[in-house]
Amino acid sequence: MLEACVFATVLCGFFGIILKKNLVMKIISMDVMSTGVIAYYVLIASGDGLFTPIISDAPNRDYADPVPQAIILTAIVIGFSIQALMLVGVMKLGRDNPTLEISEIEKNNRV
Amino acid sequence: MSTITIVWVALPFFLGFIIYLIPKLDKPLAMCGTVVSAVYGVQLFIQQSPLKLQLLDNFGVILLVDSLTGYFILTNALVTIAVLIYCWPSNKTTFFYAQTLILHGSLNAAFACSDFISLYVALEVSGIAAFLLIAYPRTNKSIWVGLSYLFVSNVAMLFYLVGAALVYKANHSFDFVGLKQAPPEAIALIFLGLLVKGGVFVSGLWLPFTHSESETPVSALLSGVVVKTGILPLVRCALVVDEIDPIVRIFGVGTALLGVSYAVFEKDTKRMLAFHTISQLGFILAAPAVGGFYALSHGLVKSTLFLIAGALPSRNFKDLQQKPVDYNIWFALAIASLSISGFPLLVGFGAKVLTVKSLESWQAIAMNIAAVGTAISFAKFIFLPRGAKEGGSVHPTQPGFWPAVILLIVSLIVTNGIYYQAYTFENILKALATIGVGWLAYYFIFKKSTLKLPRVFEQFEHLVGTMSLILILIFWMALA
Repeated sequence: MLEACVFATVLCGFFGIILKKNLVMKIISMDVMSTGVIAYYVLIASGDGLFTPIISDAPNRDYADPVPQAIILTAIVIGFSIQALMLVGVMKLGRDNPTLEISEIEKNNRV
Repeated sequence: MSTITIVWVALPFFLGFIIYLIPKLDKPLAMCGTVVSAVYGVQLFIQQSPLKLQLLDNFGVILLVDSLTGYFILTNALVTIAVLIYCWPSNKTTFFYAQTLILHGSLNAAFACSDFISLYVALEVSGIAAFLLIAYPRTNKSIWVGLSYLFVSNVAMLFYLVGAALVYKANHSFDFVGLKQAPPEAIALIFLGLLVKGGVFVSGLWLPFTHSESETPVSALLSGVVVKTGILPLVRCALVVDEIDPIVRIFGVGTALLGVSYAVFEKDTKRMLAFHTISQLGFILAAPAVGGFYALSHGLVKSTLFLIAGALPSRNFKDLQQKPVDYNIWFALAIASLSISGFPLLVGFGAKVLTVKSLESWQAIAMNIAAVGTAISFAKFIFLPRGAKEGGSVHPTQPGFWPAVILLIVSLIVTNGIYYQAYTFENILKALATIGVGWLAYYFIFKKSTLKLPRVFEQFEHLVGTMSLILILIFWMALA
């Protein structure tokens, strides 16, 4: 069930990228998609259990897998920096294409 | 040896940040970083035995360097050195050199790593650095070119991440070998990411716009090495997992034919080169085991051609027919074009012979057609009218142009010696016949053609939409 929700989020984001006309909306859709991907990693991590894996004297419990969590942290940082970079680019483009509609931008910047 | 490898991966990043601190030393430091990796690349050939490093633990970074990686590293180093020489006398800022070096480092890292997550990080860093280089002139157009590149590659990498998660779920490790146990959807998702990043088949149609509209040195970098970051992992996967080998080969053939059929009809020099890059990537994938040598020959020749195309008086072939090209430039152009068409004495010949030898029988006909197509498209360059220097309308070249082009052409001739076994009578005859057929076809048919292929598929939304189709296609191929 959770897995289906996660994939639905990814798909929603992907369709947003295709169907939305505005460049900013496309970038937000990409963010939705990456949220879905992050959630998927968290879901995989929690496959065996939910407890935080810390070495202690406490009896062995069902620990969450720390590897996917550590990895998705890297991916979150990368995704966020790419988005920041894109938004800066969009701000520059917005000066001459105030509507930020992708068809207009493509028309203005073709050869 | 393992310490040297780790230092070699880290050095360009380290120097890249040092450049920001000491802006006066930008060019020497950038050059130093690339020369070090050229030496490292050559050293890999001498040493022969592959080196596999597993850092940290079972889940850590896996680096694998062997002679296949060596070809890619050498290509990367030579192309970056040539681009640095080309830019040396120009007034590019420190930022440009720092980004070039960081791009160089991330490409090295992408070539060396052998697990999906390190590869993801390296690919994303190279994407960001490439974006910054494309957008360096800061005109509206360059920003849009860069933005669409970053957007398309980032969406593809999101699919890739889901695939990597599935591989982890099946193996509890991100090693490339894990693809064997992974479900077909994992293969589909990961391949989609790599195909888009590497500019293969229809998902690579972002490439002509990006590569042709960037600045000359940046186009040379992009077409020479950056696209190969997606190719080497595909080749590696094909080598470790037997079931994947046919998929990669099929994509190789498809890409070679698609790229070349666009290239023969193209009327713009830089776009023709970019389409041709797509087709050459197909040659690399068509015979994964020997792809490294082909990648080296293509990287060198394509960066030469992009640098020369920047020095031609016009980008339109029709205009170029009216304006005579400087003799010296034409000579360099002809050498590069002959190399890529597979003319003996140049590296392209050995690479083509080696690739054709490793093809499977069903691929042979298609790849020969693609080779003839290459000859046709480069006949456009070879048969341009020449003129003397005092011809009046001669376009001034950049001061760094000749040293860079001479370096690349010399490496074209020197690397020719790597596979000297290619020089048999039949091979030479076949190469000459291919070129001859191509030139005749050009002279009688394609010279007059005015057909223009539509550019619909290069629009942003179609690029993203095609991804979903390719995803389904690879899924069925992996399932079959």
